[in-house]
Parts: sequence; structure tokens; C-alpha cells
Amino acid sequence: MVYLASLAVAAALLVHQVTERWQTSLSEGLTIQVPPPAAADAGGAYTARVDQLIQILREWPGVAHARHLGPAEVSALLEPWLGEAGVSQDLPVPALIAVELAPGAAPDLPALTSELQGVVPGVLVDDHQRWLGDLLALGQSIKIGALVVVLLIILSAVIAVIFLTRTGLAIHQQVISLLHVIGAHDAYIAQQFQIHAFRLGLAGGLFGLSLAAATILSVGAWLRATENEVLPDLALSLSNWSLLLLLPPATALVAMLTARLTVLRSLSRMP
Amino acid sequence: MVRFEEVSLCYDAGPEILSRVSFALDPGSFHFVTGASGAGKSSLLRLLFLGLQPSGGRFSLFGRDVAGLSRSERALVRRRIGVVFQDFRLLAHLTVVENVALPLRVTGQKGQKIHEHVTELLSWVGLADQLNAKPPTLSGGQQQRVAIARAVIARPSLLLADEPTGNVDDRLAVRLLYLLEELNKLGTTVLIATHNESLVARFNHPVLRLKDGSITLERAAYVSSTSTAGTAA
Repeated sequence: MVYLASLAVAAALLVHQVTERWQTSLSEGLTIQVPPPAAADAGGAYTARVDQLIQILREWPGVAHARHLGPAEVSALLEPWLGEAGVSQDLPVPALIAVELAPGAAPDLPALTSELQGVVPGVLVDDHQRWLGDLLALGQSIKIGALVVVLLIILSAVIAVIFLTRTGLAIHQQVISLLHVIGAHDAYIAQQFQIHAFRLGLAGGLFGLSLAAATILSVGAWLRATENEVLPDLALSLSNWSLLLLLPPATALVAMLTARLTVLRSLSRMP
Repeated sequence: MVRFEEVSLCYDAGPEILSRVSFALDPGSFHFVTGASGAGKSSLLRLLFLGLQPSGGRFSLFGRDVAGLSRSERALVRRRIGVVFQDFRLLAHLTVVENVALPLRVTGQKGQKIHEHVTELLSWVGLADQLNAKPPTLSGGQQQRVAIARAVIARPSLLLADEPTGNVDDRLAVRLLYLLEELNKLGTTVLIATHNESLVARFNHPVLRLKDGSITLERAAYVSSTSTAGTAA
């Protein structure tokens, strides 16, 4: 169960890590799409208008840097979809201007859009929020899903411990009955079971976490080896690994408390 | 020490095992409780070590009404009571020393002091050479002596013995009763449930006789002035 919980928590942490990275990098910039030129308007006039747009951008408050992405860079961006052949000269691809915003800046995007469209009608100013919002919502859904999985695992673990403890109570009925007669408090008897449950929970948790760590590291290494361009780097940060390390003791505590409450409840039925 | 006032006991919806029984045991007294099989001897002892709740009446132990005790207080009262079971109830996976030490461990005592105390007592009951033996390797008489040692290791105020001679021969039975008399001389109140009339006759102690759910007291050498024993139900 700790193996499954570790994978679920790791998935949530990775998604959080990746979406934070995306949010930081994408919210620090804009992408300006300049519609491709009409056939009659190709060549120098189009380039001049693109340069004019760049000039406006560089002077706009809040913009730190603006540059035109060359054909090679555009080809590289489109390669996952169009393959290595890339962009052919005949394919009408919009010119892209990458804008880097100053830290903490919040430029007036409607005014900027209006200004740019005055030079080239149809210019699109993309602050990435639309599809970033979709990505963040997806990330949030994954995290909620992972949380639900972890809660279900905890519930399963509690039920398993209850049944195991009751079985233990039945097996050791003679010992418990004797302890009860010689004056052991309920807490003393419960302590014997909770110590046992804690040890088992911790041992099982460490084993499960070890397997999960091996799985996570293997998957990450495999993805890096396949040189995939779509999925981000699935490497957990040190702080995230520290969170995963809390799972075995947390499991042991859940097992211990469940065992204690189960035993106390059973003992309360004895006179 | 013990006072029963109109105590009744029945299991679930069954017939009354004990019917409005009243008696009292003074501190330091020695009593037998006798009766035919099924008369309620073991049930009476179970009431006394708080293993059962009465279905009627009230009784007090060590001056305290049992009905008013919390769970924690009941455990503390049980620590003042030693119980010798007919089937010994020794734990087979523990050694003789560990079995006898159990009542001390549940009170939180630890370490070398327990070992010294236990080995001294086991020497007294003649088991100095069986300290590390496990119960299944012992004879019936030896197991019974281990059970007695466990019952008295914590110096209980009240010792209850349920057919302590039931699984041993007559000669050993007499020896065990002498052992219990020695404990009684040290101040422990003793109550022995037995159907062995020859043993009762041999040892001159008061007898609580159970029959048809009621109790009568014979040879009242320790009759309390407030006892209602002797009254048929």
C-alpha cells in the first residue's frame, strides 16, 4: 500500500513541480503572432512591419526584451508535429516574436494589442494564460486524483489493520484474558498490539517506499534515454523526496493508532 | 475484605446460578467453598475477581462497592487478588520465571528486582531447578505450584483458588493446601473452591456450601458479626 501511495504522491508532486515551472516561465513572457503575409506582400515589406512591431515592443513599459524567432527556431518548435523536415518555404507560418517581461511587470495587454494591430492587423498577443489555465486545471485534477487515491489507500490500510488486529486478539485470547485477570490496564494490553503494528507498518512502509523509489528512478531514466520531447523531466526535487520519506513513519502511526483503538474497543466489552 | 449482599447471577436468559447470596469474608480468613459440579463455585470466584458482573445485588471488595468502580479502578482491584485456576492457565511460550513474573510486569516493574523476587518465591515452592523450563515440560503438580507462585508473587490481599487440587494426586493435594495455609498465615485471605470433601474435612476451616443457588456457612470459625451467611435463599 505504501508503494501505491508513494507513486500517487510522487505523481502529484511531479505534476506540481512541472506546473509551477510552466507557470513561472510562461507567465514571464508573451508570444506575438504576426499573420503570414499575403503573396503580394511578401518579402521586405513584411519584414519591415515585423521590425516595427519589435521596436514598439522594446519601448513598451514592462517589456524587458523582444526578439524575432528565426526560421530554424520555428522549425524546431513545430518539429514534434511536422517532423524533421520542418517548415517548408511554401508553408504560410506566422512570424513569432518572443517577448520577455520585466520581473513583476504587468503590461497593459489590451493597449499593446491595439497598438500592434494598428501596424499589422490581425496580430495576436498571447500571454499563454488560456492554455496555461487548461494545463493548470489538468494538473490540479491530477493532484486531486492522487489525493483521492492516497485517501483510499489509507482507508484500505485501516480496514486491513482492524481485521489483522481482531485476528490477533482472537489468537491471543488466552494471554489477553490472563493479563486482564491479573490486573493489566486496557492500555497495557493495547500497547503490546500497537507496538507490533507500528513495527510492521514501518517495515512494510520502508519496503514499499524502496520499491516506489526504484520505480520512479527507473521510469525517469527510461524517459531520459528515449529522448522524449513531449514529457518534461520526471525528476523529483530533494524536498519532494523528503516528503516521500515521511510515508513509512506516517503509515506506521496509522497502523499503531488503528490497532490501539481496535484493541481498546474489544477490551471494553470485557467486564 | 469481601461482602456479598443479596447477590444474584445468571448467564444470559438462563437459570440463576446464584440466588440472593449474602456472606462476608474477614481479612486473613481461610474458607472453602464447596458444592456439586455446576453449583456455581467457579462462577462465585469469577464474580470475586471481577470476571463477571452480577445480575442483582451488590458486593464490595476491600471496602469498595464494585459497582461504582471505573475500568481503571477495577484493574487496580484485580492486582490485589491472586487467582489460581483449575487449568493453571500458564502461558506455554513463556518460561516458569516469565510466567510467575507477569503480575509484576503489568504493574510496571522491571529488570533484576523482578528476577530476584521470582526466583526466591520459586525456591520457596520447591521449583528452584525449573526456572527456565516451559510449562508443557512440567508435571501437573509442578504446574500447579507455578500457578500458585504467579498468584501470590504480587502479595495479594485475597487469594482465590479454583479446584487447585483437581489435577493432582491426594498426597500432592495435601501439600498444596499446606502451602496455601502458609500463605494465609502471612496475612492473605484465602478462598478455595473445591468439591473434594475429604480435603475439606482434613483442614479445619469454615466452609461456604453452595446448593441450588444459595449459600450456607458451616463451621463458622471466622463469622463476621454483620454476615448474613447461613440464611437459605
